[in-house]
Amino acid sequence: MKMKKIKNRIQSFFFVLSAFLLLSDHAYSMHISEGILPFGWSALWFAIAAPFVALGLYRLKKQSAMDLSYKPLVGLMAAVVFIISCMPIPVPTAGTCSHPCGTGISGILLGPVISIVISAAALLIQALFLAHGGLSTWGADIISMGVMGSLIGYLTFRGLRAIKANLWLAAFMAGIFADWATYITTSMELALGIKGDSPFFPLFWKIVAAFIPTQLPLGILEGAMTAGMIILLNKKRPDLLVKMHVLRPGEI
Amino acid sequence: MKLFSELYKKEHILSKIDARLKMTTSLVILAMVISYRGYAFPLAIAVMSFSLCIMMNIPIRTFAFRFSEPVFIASIIVLLKLFFHGNDPIFSINIIGINISGYKEGLMDGLLIALRILGAVSVMAVMGFSTPFNEILAGLSWMRVPRGFVEILMFAYRYIFVLIEDAMVIYNAQKNRLGYSSIRQGMGSFGTLTGSLILKAFDHSHDISVAMIQRGFDGNIPLMNHKPFKSLEIAFSFILLSALGILWVI
Repeated sequence: MKMKKIKNRIQSFFFVLSAFLLLSDHAYSMHISEGILPFGWSALWFAIAAPFVALGLYRLKKQSAMDLSYKPLVGLMAAVVFIISCMPIPVPTAGTCSHPCGTGISGILLGPVISIVISAAALLIQALFLAHGGLSTWGADIISMGVMGSLIGYLTFRGLRAIKANLWLAAFMAGIFADWATYITTSMELALGIKGDSPFFPLFWKIVAAFIPTQLPLGILEGAMTAGMIILLNKKRPDLLVKMHVLRPGEI
Repeated sequence: MKLFSELYKKEHILSKIDARLKMTTSLVILAMVISYRGYAFPLAIAVMSFSLCIMMNIPIRTFAFRFSEPVFIASIIVLLKLFFHGNDPIFSINIIGINISGYKEGLMDGLLIALRILGAVSVMAVMGFSTPFNEILAGLSWMRVPRGFVEILMFAYRYIFVLIEDAMVIYNAQKNRLGYSSIRQGMGSFGTLTGSLILKAFDHSHDISVAMIQRGFDGNIPLMNHKPFKSLEIAFSFILLSALGILWVI
C-alpha cells in the first residue's frame, strides 16, 4: 500500500514535469477545448449553465429597459474580457505564457449575473474564431469561467469590503480567487469528462497538479491586474465605481 | 487582427453557402463526433475538414495558431491517460532510477479523446474560416438565440478591434518607458493597461449610446432579415449528413 502511494507520487511528479516541458509556447489552460468532453457531459454542463445565462439575460433586459446605454456597456465589457483572456502573459515560474480570465473584474463591476452573460459572449467568440474553448464545451466553460469565476470574485470582493479591507486588497484577493476557482472547476470538469472507468479524485488531483506551474502564479498576476484596474478607476473615475455600486458615495 | 474568418475566404464556394445551413450541419457533425465511441469517425471528419481547409488556402501560420491549443491539450490528455490509466504495460522508461510505465488501455483511451478533439476542432475551423461573423449572428437569431445575447455579441465583436488598437497604443507607450522591465513593474503596468481598457470601454459605450439614441435607438437593434433557403444547398447538406450518419452508425 505504502509502495503504491510512493509510486503514485513519483508518477505524479514526472507527469507534472512532462506537462511542464510540454508548456513550451501556449498554455491556454482556462478553457476546455472542443471535443474533450463526451456528449453526455457536454449536455449536462449546458443544462447547468442555461439557467444562469437565462437569469443574466433577464437581468440584462430589465437593466437595459431602464438605461439604453447598458447593452453597449455590457457588449464592450465582453470585448474587454475577450481581450484580457486572449492576452498571453509570461509566467516566470513555468517559463511559458498563459492568460488571465477577466471575469473577476467584470463580476465586481457589473455583478456576477451580468458577468455570466459577458463571459458567455466572450467564450462564444473565442470558440468560433480562435479554437480557444469550444462550442461543445461552451456550457462547461461558462460554468467554470463565467459562473464560478464571477461569483467567487464578486463574493470575495464584497466579503472583504464588508470587513473593511482596503480597495486594493479586496480587488487583489478577488482576482486571485476568481482565477483559481475557474481553474479548479475546469480541472473538475476535465477529470469528470475524461476519467472513463477510473476513479475521479486521483485524476482530478493530477490535473490540478499539472496546471499548478502556470495557474498558481497566473492567479497572483490576475489579482494584481484586478487590483490595478480598480485602483486606476478609483483614481481617475470614482464616479463610475459609485455608479456600478462598487463604492458608496461617501467612500470617494 | 487577422484571426477572424471573413478576412480570408470570401471567394471560396463554402463561403457562399447559407450560414444557417453551415451552422446547423456543423452542429450536427459536432454532436456526432463527440458522441461517437470509436476512432474511425472523428478521424474521417478531421481528414475531411483538413482537406477543406487546404482547399480554402488557409495560411499555414493561421492554421497552426488555430490548432496549437487543441493539439497541446490533446497531447496532455494522451500523456495523462498513457501513464495513469490501465493495467497492461506496453513500455517502461527509467528516469533517474525510477521506472515509469505506459499502459495500452491508457494510450487507446487517450488517442480516442485526442481524435475527438481534432475532429471537433476541425469541423468548427471549417465553419469559422468560411462564415463571416455577421452571418453567424444572423444564423443565431434564426436559431432563436435570445435577441439580447445576439446584440451583446454584436457590440462585443464590433469593439474588440477598437479596444485591441487602444491596448496596443498603451502597451507600446508603456514598453517604451520601461514599463515591463521588472516583474513588479510589469504587473503594475499590466494593471494600468487593463484598467485603461475598462475606462475606454465605459467611454466608448457612452459615446455609442448617445450616437445610437440620436439615430432612433429604442433599446433593440434590428437583426438581419433572412433570405429563403436554396433547395440545392439543403439537398447537399442532407446528403452529406446522411452519408456521415451511415458512417457514424457503422
